[in-house]
Amino acid sequence: MGGLILFIFYGAIVFFLGASAYRGIKYASAPLHVHWDLYRTNSIYAQVEWWTKPGNPFGSKLGSMFLDILFLREFYHRNRRLWYPLYAFHAGLYLLIGWHLWLFVSAVTIDIETASSIGWAWGTFSTLLAFAGAAGILIMRIVDKDLKVFYPPIHYVKWLFILLTLLGGMVAVDIHFKSNMPALLKYVREQVTFADFEHKLHPALAPALHVLLAAVWLVYVPFGHVFQVFFRYYHYLRWDEVANKPGGEVEKKVKEFLKRPVTWAAPHIPPGRTWEEVATERANPGTSTK
Amino acid sequence: MARRNVKLGDISKVTGEPLVTVTAEDLMSLPPPLEKKETAPPISLLSEKQRKNYESSLDGVSALMLPKPIDKQEEEKLVGRFLSGLKKLLSQDDNWLFWQPLMQTLDGCVRCQTCSEACPIYVSSGRQEVYRPTYRAELLRRLIHQYIKKRGKILSRLAGDDIELNWQTVARLAELAYRCTLCRRCSQTCPLGADNGLITREIRKLFSEEMGIAPKEVHDSGTVQHLRAGASTGVSPEAFQNMVEFMEDEIEDKTGKRIKIPLDKEGADILLIHNSGEFMSWIENPVAFSIIFEAAGLNWTLSSEIFGYEAVNYGTWYDDIQFARIALKQVDVARKLKVKKIVIGECGHAHKGLVVIADRILIGDMNFPRESFLPLLEDLVLHGRLKLDPRKNDFAVTLHDPCNVVRLMGIIEPQRRILNEICPQFREMGPHGPENYCCGGGSGFAIMSSTNFPDWRAKISGRMKLKQILEAFREVMDPGIRKYVCAPCSNCKGMIRDLLSRDGLGERYNIRYGGMVDLVVNAMTDLPKPFIEWE
Repeated sequence: MGGLILFIFYGAIVFFLGASAYRGIKYASAPLHVHWDLYRTNSIYAQVEWWTKPGNPFGSKLGSMFLDILFLREFYHRNRRLWYPLYAFHAGLYLLIGWHLWLFVSAVTIDIETASSIGWAWGTFSTLLAFAGAAGILIMRIVDKDLKVFYPPIHYVKWLFILLTLLGGMVAVDIHFKSNMPALLKYVREQVTFADFEHKLHPALAPALHVLLAAVWLVYVPFGHVFQVFFRYYHYLRWDEVANKPGGEVEKKVKEFLKRPVTWAAPHIPPGRTWEEVATERANPGTSTK
Repeated sequence: MARRNVKLGDISKVTGEPLVTVTAEDLMSLPPPLEKKETAPPISLLSEKQRKNYESSLDGVSALMLPKPIDKQEEEKLVGRFLSGLKKLLSQDDNWLFWQPLMQTLDGCVRCQTCSEACPIYVSSGRQEVYRPTYRAELLRRLIHQYIKKRGKILSRLAGDDIELNWQTVARLAELAYRCTLCRRCSQTCPLGADNGLITREIRKLFSEEMGIAPKEVHDSGTVQHLRAGASTGVSPEAFQNMVEFMEDEIEDKTGKRIKIPLDKEGADILLIHNSGEFMSWIENPVAFSIIFEAAGLNWTLSSEIFGYEAVNYGTWYDDIQFARIALKQVDVARKLKVKKIVIGECGHAHKGLVVIADRILIGDMNFPRESFLPLLEDLVLHGRLKLDPRKNDFAVTLHDPCNVVRLMGIIEPQRRILNEICPQFREMGPHGPENYCCGGGSGFAIMSSTNFPDWRAKISGRMKLKQILEAFREVMDPGIRKYVCAPCSNCKGMIRDLLSRDGLGERYNIRYGGMVDLVVNAMTDLPKPFIEWE
């Protein structure tokens, strides 16, 4: 059993890294698409001979994305009611991620016996914040008639699972480790230094269960919404202003895509042609729909 | 069926009645002078013959005049073709132009419904479930998971994949794709960038490119006619040249000077392309452009070649292939004429289509510079290239923002700087700019006139714009005060014309509509009489 937990935990980390890389490569290798972006402020097209003008600097775009993700600004401006629990959950989550990183680093860099209780307060506050947020979202998803619309059962299961994971963390820290930071850090040190395998193979139930639940999340995250935000929201909706310049990279790609086959079967699309052939010939003028 | 009770699964129900019937009571209230609650049914019933022949089982409206299959066998065949088209939407070869944003939208919605309240059609209709921006997106998502990217039985059940794919589903989805104007206000509002407007267009594309189903006005007498005759209106080069002569007469009448409008001038700096409908319905608009360009001393030309006097590209709304064919023909005219750049006149979707979307299908010498008229006009107005007196425009003016120009292209401030310069009584609609509402005639609706669709358009899709216009002029509704809705887009103008003709609203309250260049010319100091005529 202990071996299995160990395998699942370390396996989940490896899976998380592998799956994240796979998703990243998949997005990066997706076909170039036509411009279909949206704007909030003046774009490059608001200038005379826009093709000669520089686009917005990358730094300002990156800064804007960072603030959006950190504060969920879009939800704040567009759906304040949902933002409150959503932000509590995400803020708790961000703090928890930071707390875990702190645990991993502190476990091997500080004198564990002198660890202060501030670390405990950080973890507890973050968990309670995330728990309150998640519970708030779940309740809203149950009682709010709009938020229930099209929300599939699997997402209710997801929120219950999140609550269970957070609860598992509290049980492990506050009941199993009795809120004792040195004891907790000693356990973490064993995990990050790959030490004391004998102990690992016979783990205590509470931390083992929490590790197991966390492993499930590590497997899920690369396929969740968080991971897609950059590519969907920023990459194609907000930042897709790279012009197709003669002889440039975009043109090279377009040329490749124009060689691809078209198999659409409506009467105005002749069969067995490439995109280039279909687009450059006139449709049969007599072709009508239906 | 009572409103708000329609579920996703109802789309496949075989019923004798439409899934939803919008009543006068459902409709969003309007401000004075239209505050009195309507009582008559907003949408006329189809005739018995129409009901018998055409699909209208979604909401009792037939935008497509989609014939009912004659038997079960034909139904199954059509469902099979729909499924085949759905597979092609997900294919990187067949749909490379939109594959990536489509995939990301299919994966991205968290069902927070933030977009619903952003949709003027959903709100105006009294929040009918079928008009929710997420309704058709969720249907498509579930159909894909249920019939193409199948998941296991348990996961499928937990994910709610329970839509029956039958002819009713296909027919209703086809109509539903034409209950959204592609204004993409929902997409702009989505906190995660899920693009339900794109989903609508992808569904339209599936029906057009695989099944040959599209509104007659958009396809047969739209893109097909455009590709055959060189203009969607069917105007021939000879007829166009006559129109240009007529424009010269008009200019003489308005300015007292006869000018020669440059036609097919090789090597000009600018090839100006208008929506050909302007020449037929609002010739004062190309006339105003000519007066401005001549007064500013620009080196410009119009083209009398087929495709050279027509900026529209209805393919933008429903069909990538028709879109690409038309865009290539338009650019080719400029290339052959050896002009330096194309400037698009007052046509919203031509802006987005030819300047933005077409950018990634044009290669080699077809990758030709293209831009909007707005930055150029701003330059002329704000930098003293024209002699203007704003006092000549001393009447109430509000601006309708065409979605394709503001939200979809990011040209937001130039038109405001122009109006602030030349219209002392300019007032914004609320909301405006990138948060604007569609006129209600977007994505082809302004030209679609089948059966009872114009009722639906006038009462539902255009309702929010009507409300905005009335609110913008709330303080000046006195018929003695002149009011002008500036709509720099042909389709929007057509829609606003219809909205203002409702119960003679425009005439009774002295509200007229027109373009932006009309206002600029009206402010020109050396015109002996006003350019804008008030009846």
